[in-house]
Amino acid sequence: MRHLYLAYAGRRTGQAIVVVLLTYVVTFLAISVLPGDPVTSTLRNPENGFSEEEIARIVSYYGLDQPVAVQLWQALSRFLVGDLGVSMRTNLPVAQLVGAVVGSTLVLAASALAVALVLAGAIAYGAHRFPWAPGRSLLRSLPSFFLSVPTFVIGLVLIYVFAFDLGLFRVIEPDSAWATFFAALTLGVPVSAQLAEVLIAGLDHEAQQEYTSVARSRGLGEARLYLRHLLKPSSLPVVTVLALTVGELLGGAVITETIFGRTGIGSLVQRSVSTQDLPVLQAVVALAAVVFVVVNLAADLLYPLLDPRVRRVGSARSGAGVGAVGAGSAGVGSVGAGTPDGELESADVLAAFVADEQLAAVGDSAIEVPLEERVRVS
Amino acid sequence: MTVVSLRLPRRAAAGDRSPATASLAVARRRPPVDVLVSIGVLAVVLVWSVAPGLVTSQDPADGVPADKLLGPSAAHWFGTDHLGRDVFTRVVYGSSSSVLSALVAVAIGLLVGGLIGLIAGFIGGWVDSTLSRLVDVLLAIPGFLLAVVIVTALGFQTINAAIATGVSAVAVFARLMRAETIRTRQSVFVEAAYLQGGSATHVLTRHVLPNASRSVVALAVLQFGVSILVIASLAFLGYGDPPPASDWGLLVSAGKDYRTAPWLVYTPAVVIIATVLALNRVSRWLRKTD
Repeated sequence: MRHLYLAYAGRRTGQAIVVVLLTYVVTFLAISVLPGDPVTSTLRNPENGFSEEEIARIVSYYGLDQPVAVQLWQALSRFLVGDLGVSMRTNLPVAQLVGAVVGSTLVLAASALAVALVLAGAIAYGAHRFPWAPGRSLLRSLPSFFLSVPTFVIGLVLIYVFAFDLGLFRVIEPDSAWATFFAALTLGVPVSAQLAEVLIAGLDHEAQQEYTSVARSRGLGEARLYLRHLLKPSSLPVVTVLALTVGELLGGAVITETIFGRTGIGSLVQRSVSTQDLPVLQAVVALAAVVFVVVNLAADLLYPLLDPRVRRVGSARSGAGVGAVGAGSAGVGSVGAGTPDGELESADVLAAFVADEQLAAVGDSAIEVPLEERVRVS
Repeated sequence: MTVVSLRLPRRAAAGDRSPATASLAVARRRPPVDVLVSIGVLAVVLVWSVAPGLVTSQDPADGVPADKLLGPSAAHWFGTDHLGRDVFTRVVYGSSSSVLSALVAVAIGLLVGGLIGLIAGFIGGWVDSTLSRLVDVLLAIPGFLLAVVIVTALGFQTINAAIATGVSAVAVFARLMRAETIRTRQSVFVEAAYLQGGSATHVLTRHVLPNASRSVVALAVLQFGVSILVIASLAFLGYGDPPPASDWGLLVSAGKDYRTAPWLVYTPAVVIIATVLALNRVSRWLRKTD
């Protein structure tokens, strides 16, 4: 078993590295092949005030006078040793620009994640345990509503209400505690919706299991039942969704940081877009891909350790790419939280898409072997 | 942007049922009230986008300076902006580029992603592995970031924002289509079709595509809503057509500078939310009707 897990871990790590390198190549090609020559137009733009020598230096650094294949090879070999290139706008190393702002974005993203987890937990628990039925169904439809509101509207409304009307924070101090909290709320609300949907679906499933009735009949209190018994199996799929939403936090940071006036990766992206500073964009995309791939790899590798049902067959999981990508032959069935014939129909109001495939993807590892055997037998 | 994915339908119950029975089930089931309301909302928005002149007689670009920053009233349902332009008229005229460009985005995602998924799932083997890695790559880049990069390279126009949004949706469609194709390809009735001498083309058009269509259509409707949000966000950041265009996201962005006139932000925002909410509801209903 142990060596099977190690082989699985090795294969997944290899795939992850390939994906990161390919991502860099794809972004590079997208930027260089797409029509328009933003590089030259930026360099020659009189507003940027580059002298002829500086232009010549940048052109030779990026090999802009060389064929695309050569440029790609140079860029890739620099990327491999951790050199992210030089900003065309400021002439500073990209790594330095990113390093200066990454801390602020990490704080924002971590707070957003915390807000999202608390919010999702509260919504899911409320959707099950709220004492008033209309309140429960309202809570059930809340994630769907959250997913329909643009991030910028959430941010603007929060600023209008809490900064302008209630005076809780001042927009000119974007790094104050309250301002950070509301920025995190803006970023966290859409994420919380996705987590809540999976969590509600999971709780629905677990609440129907026989062990729940047994626990109830033996006099276990409701709060204890949910926290001690139902929460753990229901939150396993949340790990997968959590990993998949990491990239979204970076994308959402572009809007959130712009609205709240924070300095961070998002506002760096926004500034680089308006100045057509492509090396910075390329570096941020590459970093985002690295973060996404690493987090999903960690989630995939942790999963067999967290869920004993998956552990038994986890090593047999094959062809699963990043996160839920490879819903391959394994993903044939619809699977509840890891149980082959689990049905999520009970999550009627919110049998939401987001939740669903995550569960299927999570479950696929658990049923892969039986399913393949069945195919072979038939 | 949003992590969107579809559940793979139940194996035995839905998968092995022939498409004909499935469509009977649809006909039997009457849509619930909230779905009807959602369809109504979408119909209104569609009329706005196709024939804005039918709904409002005012000009979206022409204002009456004396009437600037008026609150919502019978004459100006959504109030007026800083140039005295009627906001309702601007929202109505903005819907065509907001909604139709989202349609373009979905079409790109559906066609390109669907084709990738179909080829990967149907042929399998090394083709599948190669295409799956490509999809992994697209998934690894945050959707919104990818859209931003593409729109930067293409130039700031609404149609480019639509293309960028479409490209970032390719992976989701490819993933679903691949899973659906594999599911159908392995089912008993496909085996039977082959045994009776059916060709690959026959299986593809008669079995694989009809069986995949339900989930794929539901995803397309959902992705329509997501695309509206992404395009509105790009317009909000100023990556779409510049003013006097009145994309919904652009209206919110322009309105946020007038603190005393909150309706400039709230009215287009409510229109966006209502449209996306309606699309999500219809999508979920389509998904569940089997």
